[in-house]
Amino acid sequence: MSDESKSCSLPSNAEPTATRSTVPMWIIVVTLLLLFLGFVFFDRHSGWFDSKVYAPYGTADQVQASQPVSETGKMLVVGKQKYEMFCGSCHGSDGMGKAGVAPPLAGSEIVVAKGFHRLTMIPLQGLAGPIKVKNQDWNMNMAAMGAALPDYDLAGVMTYIRNSWGNKAGDVTAEDIKDIRAHMDKSGAQIQGSKLMEMSE
Amino acid sequence: MKTGIGVFFAVVLTLGGSWFGFVVAPTMQLGSAKQTTVLVTGETWPQQRTGEATLGLQVYRANGCAACHTEQIRQDGTSFEVVLTGVKKNAEAVSNLVATMKLSGLNKDEADAAATIVTDAGGKVETYISATGADIKRYNALRRSVAADYLYDAPVQLGSLRAGPDLANVGARLADASWQLTHLYAPGIVKNSSMPSFKFLFEVRKIGSTPSVEALNLPKEFAPADGYEVVPKAEAKQLVAYLLSLRADAPLFEAPFTPATTKP
Repeated sequence: MSDESKSCSLPSNAEPTATRSTVPMWIIVVTLLLLFLGFVFFDRHSGWFDSKVYAPYGTADQVQASQPVSETGKMLVVGKQKYEMFCGSCHGSDGMGKAGVAPPLAGSEIVVAKGFHRLTMIPLQGLAGPIKVKNQDWNMNMAAMGAALPDYDLAGVMTYIRNSWGNKAGDVTAEDIKDIRAHMDKSGAQIQGSKLMEMSE
Repeated sequence: MKTGIGVFFAVVLTLGGSWFGFVVAPTMQLGSAKQTTVLVTGETWPQQRTGEATLGLQVYRANGCAACHTEQIRQDGTSFEVVLTGVKKNAEAVSNLVATMKLSGLNKDEADAAATIVTDAGGKVETYISATGADIKRYNALRRSVAADYLYDAPVQLGSLRAGPDLANVGARLADASWQLTHLYAPGIVKNSSMPSFKFLFEVRKIGSTPSVEALNLPKEFAPADGYEVVPKAEAKQLVAYLLSLRADAPLFEAPFTPATTKP
């Protein structure tokens, strides 16, 4: 220490020294301000490290609010699933039907008709006897495949076949199916093909 | 060295801070990531790749594809569209109303407001959500890339430079395997492509008694001499299987959009 203080007193070969001084107030203020703004930005854009939050969303609530909600969409998905399970093996996943097994649904006059009452009656009651689909004669026998399906599922299937493979005929709701069920013939007899076109759409 | 202890703590703080920020925090956030579910259909995402495509990732890695191609799609925002799906009452009034309203390119609040107006007038509406952004548009993507997409990538081939296009959605964008093979052999089929040819993944050989079914159908300027055919080696087929497995087209909770299958 004593050596150092001596050399300090000699101006010719003086070493530079540092003295203590207080940090200027403006640096403290600016630092705190930057920290504050940083935290505000973090709060708005980080999603608080939630692994489900990505830009452009800032919070989990925003992601939640942007989830697609679609009644028809849900119905189409249910309908497709049930269709593949109960209908697809004969009418085909592509709705084109199979020669000697089942007529096509894609573009069928019965499917794309304005109303869906006649169409819905087929899975509810079954169909037997000669019918005409897309100018072709069919004489098949279909059981009441949809009679045991819940209203919502059958509505899904109807919505699906009326809106797939190029068909654009609007959707069917579970209430519609309930209504049709309430008014239908409960004898369990199949619809006769010759009578089908006499039914109301 | 009377400041030694101070230096020590400063070093610990600096290195420890970056270790925490770059290693610990991301591990806590995503280290236990699992498969996620696709919206609406409820399928799991992503599916494990086929064996061939898993090998293809190593071919992708070995050939340094990630030096020029990224596998990450960014998203700038979301766009909402309100669509009239039916009418309960006042059909004419509703169609007149809808004709005067702006129903696409909305934000969330505008879409909610528009949906309420049309519903109150007697219409039935659905709101479609889609992703927006330059990457989305350029690569026909439906959503941004999220961590789950890379669950089965080891190592992840994110890439950082786009000398070539992004490949995160290439399996959906260019799904034709024979085009992919032809393009690997002769990138020149794309105008002004700067991609080098990966000829060494193919075998040029004399046509035997019958031509191979796998032989590439090349345009004249890239075709080999008469009597020769270009057949992909196993690596080329693996690489293409991997490329076709790269998709970012399923709607997820973290990157939602309305899938086309649910649009009537």
